[in-house]
Amino acid sequence: MLRKAATLARLPGMMHIGTGLVCAAKIKEMVQAGFHFVIFLADWHSMINNKFGGDMEKIETAGEYFKHCFTALGLTEDKVEYIWASELASKPNYWERVIRIAKTTTAQRAMRALPIMGRDMKTQEVETASLFYPCMQAADIFEMNLDVACAGIDQRKAHVLAREAGEKLRWGKPVALHTPMLMGLAGIQGSDKGVYDEDSKLSAVISAKMSKSKPENTILLHDSPELIEEKLRRAYCPQRIVEGNPVIEYYRLLAFSKNKAVILHRDRKYGGDLNFSTYREVEEAYKRGEIHPQDLKANMARILTEILSGVREYFDKNPESLEQMQKLEAR
Amino acid sequence: MTQEQRFELVTKGTLEIIQPAELQRVLEEKKQPRAYWGFECSGKQPR
Repeated sequence: MLRKAATLARLPGMMHIGTGLVCAAKIKEMVQAGFHFVIFLADWHSMINNKFGGDMEKIETAGEYFKHCFTALGLTEDKVEYIWASELASKPNYWERVIRIAKTTTAQRAMRALPIMGRDMKTQEVETASLFYPCMQAADIFEMNLDVACAGIDQRKAHVLAREAGEKLRWGKPVALHTPMLMGLAGIQGSDKGVYDEDSKLSAVISAKMSKSKPENTILLHDSPELIEEKLRRAYCPQRIVEGNPVIEYYRLLAFSKNKAVILHRDRKYGGDLNFSTYREVEEAYKRGEIHPQDLKANMARILTEILSGVREYFDKNPESLEQMQKLEAR
Repeated sequence: MTQEQRFELVTKGTLEIIQPAELQRVLEEKKQPRAYWGFECSGKQPR
């Protein structure tokens, strides 16, 4: 089991908990608040960004797999709508929109909206197609007649571009909602030194995000309980320090999403179980040195294993999509 | 659910809303507003 999971972890394309848990929780909240929510499978954008070498067939397989992951997380088709970018792109009007948006902005601004693709800003060799990327993001928003565009904070420039274009073209201004990026297990200190934003603090956050290109730094939806434990054991988790500490960050972003108290199990000789009703309480106790990093890690492994148990069950019953992804990667 | 509760639920845990007043207006005017999240089809973070 452990070996199987370890093999999976090396494969690109597998969904990690940054995508799976942070996004899914927010989407559920918005559905609860009455939103009609579209999960947009951006196959064209992936092609532009050279995912799977730009091979559309492989990208479709990965998109189907993504749909299964979100379904496994409770976002079934009766709750959300799934739309593929290629469905929009097959309409001639779509490309007119893209061009109209492109006419409202400069190549330089479009370039600056590109770190959305996780690309280092210093990169000189950018394909012309990439300049269409932010324009397409804006076009998607208007084409689907959206009131609110959601994304991680690394997307803010693309959303600002969409708002400005919408205002100039009198198409309305979409509200933009931005969530935090989930830090990788190595924390800020383990991230690359790429420049993703002129704002150096935001740049560090983006580069520390849980990217699948660093598998040992990432927890995947499919990781076995043993592997989750192992990865957390190696995580960066300085005693008493909260800033740049990914483990405490996971408590903030993941553990309290259901508004339930969180119990930290601990050996009786170290003081026994602790009960927390808010994240703030965990943070304060950790800063005071009342929680040992080892206990913080072991309990996070248990919490994640519990949260992900539904996903494991789903893929045990519906293994096809996961198997196809593995085949795709093995090729 | 009151407008306030809806607003609370939507903004919970977010880093930024551009702009909160506009979101308020959307929630007031529409029972079922439309929202989206786009994903590149790879293990990367959302686009």
